[in-house]
Amino acid sequence: MWTACEAGNGWELCAIMTESNRGMASPQLAVSPAPHVGGLASSLRLNWSVACCLLPAAAWGVFLFGVPALEVLAVGVGTALLAELLTGLAWGRMTVRDGSAMVTGLMVGMLMPPGVPLYVPAAASAFGIVVVKQSFGGLGRNWMNPALGGVVFALFSWSDAMSRWLPARGAAEGAAALSPLSALRNALAGGKAAHGGLLALLGANGYPWSAADGRVVTWVNGHVLSILGASLPRGAFDMLVGNIPGGVGVVSVPLLLVGAAYLLARSVIRWQVPLTYLVTFCVIAQLFGGLPMGRGWLAGGMLFQLFSGSLVLGAFFMATDPVTSPLTRWGKLIYGVCLGILTFFLRYFGAPGDGVPLAILLGNCLAPLIDRSTRPRARPSGKAAMA
Amino acid sequence: MKKQRSFLMVGGVNPPSVKLSPGGERIANASIPAFALIPMLQHAGSPAVCLVRPGDRVQEGMLIGKADGVRSANVHASIPGTVVRVEQATGADGTASVSALIEFGGEFARTGKPRERNEWEMLSPTDLLGRIHSSGVVGLGGGLLPTHLKLGRQAVHKAAFLIANGVECEPSLHADVSLMREKSREIAVGMLICKRILEAEHLVLAIGQSHEEELAPLFREAFDDAAQCRIAALPERYPQGHEDLVRKSIIDLAAWADGAGTPGAGGRECVVLNVATLFAVYEAVVLDRPLIERFITVTGSAVRRPGVLKVRIGTRVGDLFEECGGLVEPPGKVVLGGPMRGVSVTSLDFPVTKGVSGIVAFTRSEARTGPEVPCIRCGACVEACPWGLVPTRLHKLIARGSITAALSEGLSQCTECGCCAFACPSRIPLVDSLRSGKRLGALRHHD
Repeated sequence: MWTACEAGNGWELCAIMTESNRGMASPQLAVSPAPHVGGLASSLRLNWSVACCLLPAAAWGVFLFGVPALEVLAVGVGTALLAELLTGLAWGRMTVRDGSAMVTGLMVGMLMPPGVPLYVPAAASAFGIVVVKQSFGGLGRNWMNPALGGVVFALFSWSDAMSRWLPARGAAEGAAALSPLSALRNALAGGKAAHGGLLALLGANGYPWSAADGRVVTWVNGHVLSILGASLPRGAFDMLVGNIPGGVGVVSVPLLLVGAAYLLARSVIRWQVPLTYLVTFCVIAQLFGGLPMGRGWLAGGMLFQLFSGSLVLGAFFMATDPVTSPLTRWGKLIYGVCLGILTFFLRYFGAPGDGVPLAILLGNCLAPLIDRSTRPRARPSGKAAMA
Repeated sequence: MKKQRSFLMVGGVNPPSVKLSPGGERIANASIPAFALIPMLQHAGSPAVCLVRPGDRVQEGMLIGKADGVRSANVHASIPGTVVRVEQATGADGTASVSALIEFGGEFARTGKPRERNEWEMLSPTDLLGRIHSSGVVGLGGGLLPTHLKLGRQAVHKAAFLIANGVECEPSLHADVSLMREKSREIAVGMLICKRILEAEHLVLAIGQSHEEELAPLFREAFDDAAQCRIAALPERYPQGHEDLVRKSIIDLAAWADGAGTPGAGGRECVVLNVATLFAVYEAVVLDRPLIERFITVTGSAVRRPGVLKVRIGTRVGDLFEECGGLVEPPGKVVLGGPMRGVSVTSLDFPVTKGVSGIVAFTRSEARTGPEVPCIRCGACVEACPWGLVPTRLHKLIARGSITAALSEGLSQCTECGCCAFACPSRIPLVDSLRSGKRLGALRHHD
């Protein structure tokens, strides 16, 4: 309660408490600008949840390729964290805690072929963190995804090492380990054509599918699909679960989807970019993908394309990087379409890699333009002139 | 109903809301304060001129501050007693004005006495307006614009709609709903009075969707002719209750209902008044009772029994917690107003003024905020902004001093509703930044 006090210059002094209230007197009250409630999302937590959701697919790579995969991941992550720490020390800005270096390192490791000389992931991570991210001012100011910047740097610097793969588990002994995409390129270059899908083409060229694949495909064909009069080609199972040579963390599409589903459900990533990206790419690939192979229209084999290379990892985890993608919903939809088109051209008309990293980097360059053209129009508040 | 949605708000957020304790939604009378500190500036405009000096005896409802010109409002004594001091005092929002400290004593002139009802139907619009002016009625929804200005301004051209705004804007605040539940007849009369002044064509009561079932029958009964007033249920997404959004939604809804497309702005003026303001209009005109008390939600996790109180203007904020079962723990932050737009105060020694719609006491752990981290361009603020702005871009423009560029991208549309800052995962104080940008823009404009 207020009491009038004896002396004082203002109300502050007059508004002293009575004895009875003194127990509760002068609590330390925090003062801050409105609003006084905050949302539930936190930028600090976002990166760590992305990292966690990448782990199952990375673990699959380690299971598939063994110690070399683990080494690549460890070097990628270790170098990224170290680079972040050192640049942070140099510029007096400690940001290791925000988890973005962790995500960058993990993505670099996952995009690398297992067994690649370890200086490659190290150089890619360091380039991504120091040049692509920190030199532009750190998290939030980089205009290019650091992991992709590093990987593309490695792709152009060591293109041979970046396309030498390790055989997957249970593959036929002594067979040259080729990723399905490079095997397809070789087969097409060899001029051999086969009827049926792309997998049949690979099979005709003696692609070393695993023994497990043979058992599963035979069983499914015999027990399930025979009723419908259909059959699966060899390799379908290997492609589906990711038992194929490829990057450490990109081969297992199901485990990547599990992580992506969690991120989507928690609104860490938005659906706009992955959906338009994948749909655009699949439609174009199915429509025109057969043409450069001399297979005609509508014979692109979109499922094969969807499951090979780093498309799923790229669409859900790298194209959705908020820093380098457009701000608005419309912008994100357009961005996804652009990425789908770019990926198609880069994948089919020879660029190093499978086209995804380069396509997303080019998309990053387009993002500011898309932002500019999709800036929302301010809705007039219809405010009456209250003078 | 489905079609209507397209006219409603875009963006917005769903902030957490503290529920009232059981029975807390019934309006309780706060006890009469032993001292009331009454500032002469409780409204938008110039401060009233103080008419009393220390030692003066005042009656309940006596005029103690006279409106200084047209853009000002009268101030009345909220309790009978003796003026102890008249001095400059700093209000919760940091503005200083002359304030009178009244020590309670003597008898109530009005409280507890049978009231004489005025036959307001006999009065001319000018007289009605005069009563509202002399009673010191201001916009109690938060705008604090003297109500006679809002009603008088329209007198030149007739208003199409008079909208009673009963959509609770702030989360956690429930006083308007309690008021509508208990004083529907009075509010209805208030609406009719304002309709008469404005010569408005239509009366519309806007309420939150979740209260439609409960409140709509009350108001249909409150009007002699149920067709007099339309009831519009609006979604309860923050900040739907904002005056401009209510106005826009009602205009769009009406246009949709008439099948006339978008109405032209000319000749279709709308006046939006908060339901608490309309109740004050009723009291002023029918009961000759000046605005000396208001309805306040006392809430927050640190309050034991959150509820709605009828409080005399000038009561110390800290004393109101006792009326609600006291505090569970010493609060970490106390906010006057609502959690989204309210002002956090340094102490509990501020008086309740006409502008205090709620008191929210946060616990220590709630008051702690995460550190500000760099913008990751996630776009959450863009999706949250009900006015279609790009808060993150405006923030960056303001930070680098490009106020002109920010203004050309709609900075002046910002109503400081707080949606962007609420949604921001990087905890960037966007509202603060945009507000300072607007202020800088206004300064440049004046140069």
